[in-house]
Amino acid sequence: MVLKIFFPQCCNRADSGLLVGRWISGHESAVVLAVIHYPFIPGQVKQYIQQMQAQSGVELSVLGSWSLPKEGQEGMESFLRDLSTIFPQERWLQIKRTMGKTGFTCQILNRDQNGKIVQQEITKKKKKVKEEIEDEDHCDGGDNKEQNQEEEEEEGEKVIFVHYEQRKVMLSQLHPIENGVPDTKTEPPSELRQVFQTVASNQPLFFLDRYDDGPLKSTHWQSEGREASIIVELLKQASVPLCFFISWLLSIWTWVCNMRVFSLYPLKFLSSKLSTCIQLSYRTEHMRTISSSTAAKGHTEFMRKANVLVSFLVDVALGLLLISWLYRDNHISTLANTLVPAADHVAKELEELLQWLMGAPAGLKMNRALDQVLGRFFLYHIHLWISYIHLMSPFIEGILWYGGLSACLGLTFALSLLSDMVALLTFHIYCFYVYGARLYCLKIYGLSSLWRLFRGKKWNVLRQRVDSCSYDLDQLFIGTLLFTVLLFLLPTTALYYLVFTLLRLVVVLFQGVLHLSVDFINSFPLFAMGLRICRSYRLAEGVKFRVLCEEPGTALHLLMEINPLKCSTVIQTYRTPTYSCYPKDSWAALIKKLFVGELIYPWRHKTTKTD
Amino acid sequence: MGPDGAPGPTVPWRKVLWERQPFPDNYVDQRFLEELRRNEGIRQYRYWAVVKEAGFVGQQLSCVALFISLWLYMEQGLLCPETLLWGSLVCALLGYGLYQSLLPQVESGCEPRTGLADLQSAAIFLSFTFGFSPVLKTLTESVSTDTVYAMSAIMLLAHLVSFPYAQPSPPGSLSLNAALFASVCLASRLPGALHTFAMLSCALMVFALWPCLLQRLKETAPGHFTGVCVGVCVGGVGGLGSQSPGGAVLLALALGSVTLLCPLLLVCLQRHKDNIHGPWDEAEIHEDLSRLS
Repeated sequence: MVLKIFFPQCCNRADSGLLVGRWISGHESAVVLAVIHYPFIPGQVKQYIQQMQAQSGVELSVLGSWSLPKEGQEGMESFLRDLSTIFPQERWLQIKRTMGKTGFTCQILNRDQNGKIVQQEITKKKKKVKEEIEDEDHCDGGDNKEQNQEEEEEEGEKVIFVHYEQRKVMLSQLHPIENGVPDTKTEPPSELRQVFQTVASNQPLFFLDRYDDGPLKSTHWQSEGREASIIVELLKQASVPLCFFISWLLSIWTWVCNMRVFSLYPLKFLSSKLSTCIQLSYRTEHMRTISSSTAAKGHTEFMRKANVLVSFLVDVALGLLLISWLYRDNHISTLANTLVPAADHVAKELEELLQWLMGAPAGLKMNRALDQVLGRFFLYHIHLWISYIHLMSPFIEGILWYGGLSACLGLTFALSLLSDMVALLTFHIYCFYVYGARLYCLKIYGLSSLWRLFRGKKWNVLRQRVDSCSYDLDQLFIGTLLFTVLLFLLPTTALYYLVFTLLRLVVVLFQGVLHLSVDFINSFPLFAMGLRICRSYRLAEGVKFRVLCEEPGTALHLLMEINPLKCSTVIQTYRTPTYSCYPKDSWAALIKKLFVGELIYPWRHKTTKTD
Repeated sequence: MGPDGAPGPTVPWRKVLWERQPFPDNYVDQRFLEELRRNEGIRQYRYWAVVKEAGFVGQQLSCVALFISLWLYMEQGLLCPETLLWGSLVCALLGYGLYQSLLPQVESGCEPRTGLADLQSAAIFLSFTFGFSPVLKTLTESVSTDTVYAMSAIMLLAHLVSFPYAQPSPPGSLSLNAALFASVCLASRLPGALHTFAMLSCALMVFALWPCLLQRLKETAPGHFTGVCVGVCVGGVGGLGSQSPGGAVLLALALGSVTLLCPLLLVCLQRHKDNIHGPWDEAEIHEDLSRLS
C-alpha cells in the first residue's frame, strides 16, 4: 500500500506546525492545504476548520504534524506527538524535515479499536507503543529514531510525496470538464480530479493573507491582498452598472424588433435571408450573454462569457481599423466610382457570352430556334439590370458611406454587408441560374418519364419501382413525339444550364469565403487561446511527474507539473456555437443535384436558436 | 448388399430421405427415371400453315419498305404533301369503314369505342402533329445525315423485332414508339413543315392504325387476310423497285427467306428436338389471371 501525500511547495520551508488538509477516500492519499503554526489554541483551530468546511463544502481535517526544527527548538518533537491526542484522527501523519537535507521523513500512526495509537506493522511483530518511542528518543537522541524510522519505512507503508504548486492547481481546470454534481451511480471522480477539486474549492482558506491579523498564523499560498490589485477591483465594481446599462439597451432593441410592422411576411423573409440581419440577431444574443446580471457559475460559463467578450472587442477594434482606412483619402468616392463601371463591365461580358452561345459554341450542335429564344430572353434581362444599376448610380456613394459606418459595430458586420451587397449586385446571375436550372430540371424529368413510356413501363409511386403498363394509342403517340422533341433539344438547354451554373458557383464561392471568415471571427475562442498561451496551467489536460529526490532511506519525492491542454482540444472545447456555416451536402450529393438540375444552396445557415 | 447381390432386406426401398432405411442415400432401384417424358407437348408443324403465319412477318417488313419508299418520293420532290395528305385521308376513311363493318365475333368485355371517341382521338392526333411540325422540322437540322439514317435504321429494326406478331391490336409500346421515332427523324429531313406533317400522318396510319385493321381482318376473315398479306408484300417490292432496283431485289430475297425458307428450316429441324420433362420441372401456372384484375 502506497500512501500519496500531496504537499504544497510553498510549505517546504514553513515553520513547524499542524497540517491541515483532506484525506481522499478510497485512494490512499491526502492533500495538505496549509500549515498552522504555534502558538495556537486547539479549540480555535477546530473552530476555524469547521468554518472553512462550511464555506468550501469539502471535508477538512487536521492531517498531522510538520516539523522543521530550527535552532533552539529541540523539544518540538515530543510536543508534536502529544498533539495527536488532542486531535483525534484515524491516522496521524508526522512529517519531519531537517535543514540541509532535501528528503522528508514520514511516520504514520494509526489508531486501533481501543483508541490506543499503534504503529503500522506488517511482518515483524515489533509492537511499538508511543511511550516506547518517546523513551527511546529521550535516550538515544537522533540515530536510533532514524533507524527505527527506517525500519518502519521498510516494513510499513511506503509514502510518496507529490509536491504541487498551490496557486497553479487552484486556478487550473481539469479537462474534460464534469459539470454538475457527479452521480453516485457513476464512477467516483478520479484521484487527480479530487485533488484539483479540493484545492480549487478551498479558495476561502487561501484568502487569509499575511497582512491579516487573526488568531491563527498559517503558511499557504497567499494572494497579494485586496489592496494590491486596485484596477481589477475597480473594473469589477464598474462592470455592474455597465451590465445594467447594456441590458436596458438590449431590451429597447428587442422591443423595436418585435414591433408588428416587422413581422410582415416580406420583411421577415428578407431579414432571414440577409446575412447582416442574421449577424445582428446573433450579436444581440451575445450581448445578452455578457450582460446577464448573474455571475458566471462554473468554469464553462465563465469561459463562454470571456470568449464572447474578447471576440466582440477584437471585432470592434478591427472594424474601427477598417473605418479609419476607409474614411481617409476619399476612399469611399473612389470605390463608388469604380463600382458602376465594374457592374457595366460584368454585364458586357455576360452579353458577349450569350452571343457566343447563340452562335455555335465549341462546335456543339445547338438547335437554332431554341438558342435564339433563350439568348434573346437573357439579353433582355441583362438590359433591364443595367438600366437599374444606372438608375441607382447617384445613390451609391451615400449608401457606401452609411454602410461603412456599420463597421463600427464590428468587422463581421462590414463583411456581412459586403456579402449582401454582392448578392444584390449579382442578382441577375442568380435569376439566370434559376431559369436555366428549372428548364433543365423539367427537361430531365420529362425525358426520364417519357423514356419509361417508350419502353412501355411506368413509375409505380406506391411501390416506388418501375412497372410495366399498357398505354393507349393516343398516349403512345403523343408521348413519343414529345420524347423526340425533348431529346433533340437537350444539348441546347444543357449548355445554357452549365454556363449559368458555373457563374453562380463562382458567386457562391465568394460569398462562402466571406461567410466563413465571419463565422471564424464569431466562434474562435480567443480568450481560451490566450489563456492557453500565456497561462497554460489554467487549462489542464493532466499532470506529469518529475522525480525530485530519490534517496534511499527517505520517501520518494515527485514534482507534479500540469500538462496543458492541446491547442486543438482548446478550440474544440471552447468554440462558441454559431450558425456554423458548413456545406450542407456532401460532394457526391452536390454533384448529383447539379446533374439532375435541382437548385443548390451550398451554404446553409443553422437557425440562430440552437437550443 | 448391392443391387445384384443376394436378395436385399424385405423392406422395399421408398424414395424418401426422412426415414432411415437400410439403403445408402444415393441408392436407386429399377424404377429410376420412369417419370421421364420426352418431347411432351411438341407441336407438329405443317409447312403451309407455318408459311401462312410467316406471311405476317413478311407483310410487316413490306409495310416498312412501303413507308421508306414514300419517304424517298417525298424527299425527291416527286410526291407533293397535299397529294399524300389527301391519299392518307381517303385510305383512312376506307379503312375505318372496313373496320366498322367487320364485326368481331367474340364480344370483348369492355364496351366498344364509339364513333365520337374515335373522332376525338383523330382530332387530337392531327392537331398535335400539325402544331408540332414546325418544331419537329428543325429538330435534326444540326445532326449530320449519316447519323439520322443510322438512327432511323436502328429504330425501324427495333420496331420489326419487337412487333407483337401474335396479337397486333393493342400495339406494343416499344415497337410503335421506335417506328414513330424513326419516322420523326426521317420526316425532319424533308424540306417543309407540311411535308413533315404529311409524313407523320402517313406514319401514324401505317404503323398505328393498319395493324388494328389487320387484327380485325385476321379474326373475322382469315382467308382474305392471307390475300392482303401477299398484296402488301408485292406492293412493297414494287414501290421500292421504282426507286432503287437493288433495294427491291434485297427485299424480295428477304421476303422469300422469311416466308419460305425459315418455315422449311423450322419443320425440318423439329425432328432434332429433344426436350425432357419430369416431376423436377418448375410449376407453370396455366390459369388465366387476367380475369382477376
